[in-house]
Amino acid sequence: MERRNFIKSICAATAVAAVASPSALLAKDTPKGGNVLTYDAAVAAITGGKVVTDSDKVKLTVPEIAENGAVVPVKVNVESPMTDADHVKAIHILTTKNGNARSADIMLTPMNAKGYFATRIKLAGTQDVVALVELSDGSFLRAAKPVKVTIGGCG
Amino acid sequence: MAEARKSMIKFKPKKFKVGDVIKVDFIVIHPMETGTRKDKKTGKIKPAKYIDSITFSLDGKPFTSMKVWETVSTNPYFSVNMKVLGKGKITVDYTDNTGEKNSKSKKLKPKG
Repeated sequence: MERRNFIKSICAATAVAAVASPSALLAKDTPKGGNVLTYDAAVAAITGGKVVTDSDKVKLTVPEIAENGAVVPVKVNVESPMTDADHVKAIHILTTKNGNARSADIMLTPMNAKGYFATRIKLAGTQDVVALVELSDGSFLRAAKPVKVTIGGCG
Repeated sequence: MAEARKSMIKFKPKKFKVGDVIKVDFIVIHPMETGTRKDKKTGKIKPAKYIDSITFSLDGKPFTSMKVWETVSTNPYFSVNMKVLGKGKITVDYTDNTGEKNSKSKKLKPKG
């Protein structure tokens, strides 16, 4: 047990592109500066390898073309009764080609009344924006949309 | 606590009743520096400085929380919905990766 903890602390300290363990929610700082985490590693860290289903219940709104990659509006609306028994637990905003695939995680509760979240993110270039949704029953849904970026936004 | 950073909580619509579902928007002036950009004058990398955690509470009880990364835009905007149960105070607490902590509150005043 002690040796495992020791190795874990080494892994955290070396700051190499993320080892995707379910507890490693954060991308790691690299010596060059900036967090690095691939889309696949991010999904694995979030879902722990669980099945993710593409679903029409997740409405993802992004512009088809973003003139300014530094400010891309993202809106997510998940069809959900948002009751204690059945609600959106979390919405994860991811991108497929940014150096750090994660943008934001939003943990909702029934008090939110709607599975809705909006923000503005940076896109380093043309890529997909992905809404990865965790429901209260532990299942995962997804919606993805491509955004064409004419001027990249250092993501 | 004096607010070190400019931020704003907005309710949409501005006028609402108990039982309504409103939008709660939060906007804050923050560089959201990625840690990958060079300062053109010094040639050195600007250190990462970005909001990494936000909690929305009603009368001290959290109802929404967020983990945020440097990939969110500068001067970030966040929007969620909330059911109005009565009068109260909405507080947004947020921290950044350098440990800077801030807080913004707004009274919730439903009409009728």
